[in-house]
Amino acid sequence: MGVPMTKITLNRVYAVRDHWSLSASGTFNEGVHLVSGDVGSGKSTLALMMAGLLPLSGGDIEREEVTTSMLSLQFPELHVTGLSVAEECESWGVAPDEILDAIGMTGKKEVSPLSLSRGELKRLHLACVLVKDYDLLLLDEPFSSLDCEEKVKLCAYIGKKSQGITVIFTHEQNILPRVKRIWEIVDGSLVDCGIPPDAFQNWHHVPPAIKKRIALGSTPDNISRDDFLEAECRTQG
Amino acid sequence: MITAEFMCYRNLAIDALSIKPGITTIIGANGSGKTTFLKLCAGIAVPDSGTLLIDDAPPRETEIGWVNEFPDRNILFVNVFDEIASPLRFRRTPCDEIDSNVIACADAMGITHLLTRALRELSGGEKVLVSLAAALVHHPKVLVLDEYDSHLDVHSLEKIEQGIRTSGADYVIRCTQQMDNAIHSDFLLFFDSGRITLTGTPEFVFPFLKDTAYYPLLWGCR
Repeated sequence: MGVPMTKITLNRVYAVRDHWSLSASGTFNEGVHLVSGDVGSGKSTLALMMAGLLPLSGGDIEREEVTTSMLSLQFPELHVTGLSVAEECESWGVAPDEILDAIGMTGKKEVSPLSLSRGELKRLHLACVLVKDYDLLLLDEPFSSLDCEEKVKLCAYIGKKSQGITVIFTHEQNILPRVKRIWEIVDGSLVDCGIPPDAFQNWHHVPPAIKKRIALGSTPDNISRDDFLEAECRTQG
Repeated sequence: MITAEFMCYRNLAIDALSIKPGITTIIGANGSGKTTFLKLCAGIAVPDSGTLLIDDAPPRETEIGWVNEFPDRNILFVNVFDEIASPLRFRRTPCDEIDSNVIACADAMGITHLLTRALRELSGGEKVLVSLAAALVHHPKVLVLDEYDSHLDVHSLEKIEQGIRTSGADYVIRCTQQMDNAIHSDFLLFFDSGRITLTGTPEFVFPFLKDTAYYPLLWGCR
């Protein structure tokens, strides 16, 4: 008997609205997964269904060894419950001083979260979310509004996570963490593109910079910025 | 030209700046003043001191199209058609002209299929596409876009880049955290702590950011 593995399996899950539908099957094992897809293809819908927050139109989801889960919504403003930044931190069970120091927002304790810039609000929200470990962490557009340095920091954090399932739903093209598996939504279905770098061959949403690298004959091992630069510099000696 | 002279507003201070017609992209860290500057360009805020003028006129006397960084904060109406039509209706444009303009604009943005939908049912990216259409439909002289691209896929972005370039706006002022998009600009402004520290073409500015996360991946080791 091996150690039980955390995993989430989608069995012919589908969602239907008027002229739109999404179907998804597949198993998400431990590690970091990337889900890409066009605007309106159903990334956020899939995230909500995987989080158990949206009823399925059909199919079922099996969760094994998933006792804690968290969905970070695309719009951080939808998570806000506190009237001040300090209250918002407390609502997540986080000590305000500690977390605000860590994200460089020490002076903003008494400010309303909704008066922060979108980037600041996203930073605050992610800091509150990431303070805990979850068996299943679903991040819907975690990079939107973050500046490039913050995106790099988030990638480093995600890259260091050693346990649990992390699923990133994103349009981000440039600054991404190393991932175990790539998925995408094409024509209303979730498709398992596979493991990088082989996954690049099947991936419709491969970022332009990676596409360019492949065309030039040096495929990066994975999708992180470091992998990309390594591949680029490899060819330039 | 868009010109700023000894302009101060909150934590933002610009001694001298001139922006030629074309696409200007603002880059820099969260909290560096990018949105504040965009609000001043759009006339949503006015400088505490100094001047900011667009072809010698204050922004509030200029036709502006504006997209907020919070997609939901752009929305005034229930359905997509009404939202895109609103800038024309506020101007009392004749109804048949409104219809043809909205349809043409939705077509250019690739969102004709959304016209009868309710905005609250749309995805984040779709809301941004609708907001862009509403900002473009009255053919503004200045288009101000705050991080419009952070919810859009590559295919939508290509379409929109085309829409922006052919919009007829004399000036497009936008901010982004996608450096591979920023390279498609005529002019870049790099903001740092409420100051503009670098200005020029992408070819001029990015080499100064070579070892930072702001250097475009598409340019890699070049």
